[in-house]
Amino acid sequence: MMEWALILGFIAAGIRTASPLLLASLGETVVQRGGILNLGIEGAMLMGAFSGFMGAYLTGNLWVGLLTSIIAGVLTVLIFGFLVIRINLDQVVSGLAINLLAMGLCLYFFRIAFSQGAFPYLGDLIGPYAIPGLSQIPVLGEVLFNQTVFVYIGLIAVPLIYFLIFKTSFGLRLRSIGEDPVVASYLGINVSRIRYLSLIIEGALVGMAGGLLTISMFNVFDSRIVAARGFVAVSIVILGRWNPWGALGGSLLFGFTEALSLWIGTFLVGPAAPSVSLLLRMLPYVVTILALLVGGRKVRGPAALGSPFSKE
Amino acid sequence: MPLSPIFFKKTKFEVEKVSNASTESDSVTRSDHSIFVRGIRKTYPNGVVANQDVTFSILRGEVHALLGENGAGKTTLVKILSGCLTPDSGEILVNGRSVRIEDPIKAVKLGIGMVHQHFTLIPTFTVAENIALSLSLSGRLNLDAVKGKIKEVSKNLTLEIDPDARIEQLPVGLRQRVEILRLLCQDVDILILDEPTSVLTPLEVEELFKTIRRLKSKGRSVIIITHKVKEALAISDRITIMRGGRVVKTLPTISTNEAELAALVVEGFASSLRVDRGKPGEPVLMVKNLSVKGKRGEMAVKGVDLVLHAGEILGIAGVAGNGQKELVEALTGLRRIESGTSLLKTCDLTNRPPKFIIRKGVSYIPEDRIRRGVVLSMSVSENLALKNFEEQPFSKNMVINRESIDRYASDLISKFGIRASDPCATVSSLSGGNIGKLVVARELSNGANIVVAEQPTAGLDVKASEAVHQKLMELRSKGVAALLISADLDEIIKLSDRIVVMYGGKFVGEFTHDSLDIQKLARLMLGSA
Ligand SMILES: Nc1ncnc2c1ncn2[C@@H]1O[C@H](COP(=O)(O)OP(=O)(O)OP(=O)(O)O)[C@@H](O)[C@H]1O
Ligand SMILES: [Mg+2]
Repeated sequence: MMEWALILGFIAAGIRTASPLLLASLGETVVQRGGILNLGIEGAMLMGAFSGFMGAYLTGNLWVGLLTSIIAGVLTVLIFGFLVIRINLDQVVSGLAINLLAMGLCLYFFRIAFSQGAFPYLGDLIGPYAIPGLSQIPVLGEVLFNQTVFVYIGLIAVPLIYFLIFKTSFGLRLRSIGEDPVVASYLGINVSRIRYLSLIIEGALVGMAGGLLTISMFNVFDSRIVAARGFVAVSIVILGRWNPWGALGGSLLFGFTEALSLWIGTFLVGPAAPSVSLLLRMLPYVVTILALLVGGRKVRGPAALGSPFSKE
Repeated sequence: MPLSPIFFKKTKFEVEKVSNASTESDSVTRSDHSIFVRGIRKTYPNGVVANQDVTFSILRGEVHALLGENGAGKTTLVKILSGCLTPDSGEILVNGRSVRIEDPIKAVKLGIGMVHQHFTLIPTFTVAENIALSLSLSGRLNLDAVKGKIKEVSKNLTLEIDPDARIEQLPVGLRQRVEILRLLCQDVDILILDEPTSVLTPLEVEELFKTIRRLKSKGRSVIIITHKVKEALAISDRITIMRGGRVVKTLPTISTNEAELAALVVEGFASSLRVDRGKPGEPVLMVKNLSVKGKRGEMAVKGVDLVLHAGEILGIAGVAGNGQKELVEALTGLRRIESGTSLLKTCDLTNRPPKFIIRKGVSYIPEDRIRRGVVLSMSVSENLALKNFEEQPFSKNMVINRESIDRYASDLISKFGIRASDPCATVSSLSGGNIGKLVVARELSNGANIVVAEQPTAGLDVKASEAVHQKLMELRSKGVAALLISADLDEIIKLSDRIVVMYGGKFVGEFTHDSLDIQKLARLMLGSA
């Protein structure tokens, strides 16, 4: 009986750990379908995490933190959008620049807001919310319907984004831009507008993914808090073949790997061998590389992904 | 009310009045013109004046051919009509009303649509998805409704197509059909076709012309750009000739002939090509039992044997999609050879990288000039030196010598008549035909001993085509061997010393120039012996 609860708890933890990756990779899937490779997602998540923390800390309301993280995410991604769409800068370089910018901004404002040596933390976190009724279902209720709001949003977003990409006219245009923006513009499609719209969607999802880290997972902010989750999300997009359902699968794979590494570290290795459990923390990244080696070969993404486009 | 072609052929008086641009008076019943443009001028950002004082018109139910040398400004004019470019000045009347055509959507609203020289289809999308893309739908995507519309339109004009087929799996002729269908689904009355025949086989051209005639019988107008005078004579009601950005003349098709048109297109042109035969020498390229897989993993080339001799032009005839492309890619190192060998004299080329094959003296004129032949964002001279910039005198001790590259480029530019504003202009500012000339110039001037030429004259005007043919024969007389793949059967017959027919990935027949039986050749191309 005890073991059963442990396993259910592990699965629930895996899903919870997957949720920031899911939100971020869904957002990245949308923009990549439109031909934009946004590596600035790491920085956007960091901005989301910082703003979420600040919003919640200053107002004492976690939901305000959620809102500010979304706003910060959208703004950061729009700056990236401005660089690559309007000024037509290289996408990879712009993405990396955004990451550096975000890091600098967060460190700066954090230092301004709090005196050196201070250790601000949130008194509360957005915890699991048991959905009345559904959470009573045995097994399923425990792992799926007793989760945080972020898990629910992520799971609902999967079919919604799928619908958006594959079943709407917007999605058709978006995909055509990802294949060939020049041709799309010849057909009268407003490439910039659609790309900006896709970036706004990504910004909201990625900002939320970042905010989740500070207002729902850890109750403190640290500039290293994102810990390459943004980059992992980018590889999940490739692994998931630019499909929201694939992103779900990929996120779960990584979520479980991460949960597993913590679990083994805590229960099997224990505090006796801290170096081993630290080594185990690398597991998700090793899995990233392995998964890309196995599943990332011979996949065909949007043909114009990452290439610049300017009118005339 | 659509104007019947017979009717306007009779009203020759009016037609001539239209053609007489400078003295045009408003008394011409403008409402008879679907489009009437006057005084159009277009300057590109780099200062090239591509259209000046252009006056042009198209009547209802008319097929109007647009002829002119490479760089004459034909594409520029039709891009203005279809809203892809905006003119600096000039007046455009559509159905008698003065209009501004800001973008392609506006053009379609006015009933004008264009099929570009380079197709504007998304290869990974299906036919229905591609057509849905330009129907300005919103909200939920209803592909079934789009498919219904396609069925209806295609039935009306007997243009068969499978709406679920993916574009990348369709041959060129069918892709073009999709482009036309797309315009028809948008209720376009005036269809503009920019060089639709340059990559089609004679059979596909015939099919296209049937379509154009059917469109015409339904009252639609068609503007067709071509470099083949014969085609213009066969399909059009009126012909407009452009040169140097200006309209030289508009004349009714019935009152002109091939020689007159050729001389109008290229000022004072008279064919001077002397066709001679080669004297094949030693074998230089020996291909044994070659098998190559296609894009979708199917066997595209099935055990082909081929011997190419020095001083010989070997033509490969066949309907596109029968393995010619894969064969060429295998020989040039762009596609893996599954089995069999390719030998250049004693040197094994099988599955060697392209660079190795280039160094061994194999040059390649690819059909897809834009994607395979040039780097669009680089200059004309850089592109001309692209294959040997590492050698002396273009570079020394790994430092590029700009001057010598520019000198070499200027030489080729004048030799091959490439119209570029200057050698440093980017290739993206060249007209389609001039990009073609550039590729041909590079590939025929680098001292190769084997030339693999895919559609070498597609998109070239009469003069340039002749120059290329001349050059090929000149090289042949110097002992160079050439493999000629062309959709243009006339070209193959004219130049080849030997012709093989490719069908279903195999060589199904061979003719020497003297034993040629065109009827049999045509049958073999279709797979019936
Ligand atoms: N995007 C561009 N920028 C600058 N110059 C251009 C551009 N496109 C075309 N030109 C120039 O304008 C002139 C007319 O070009 P256009 O494409 O209209 O010729 P065309 O008659 O269609 O020739 P072709 O038969 O080779 O297709 C050429 O001199 C060309 O170099
Ligand atoms: Mg042209």
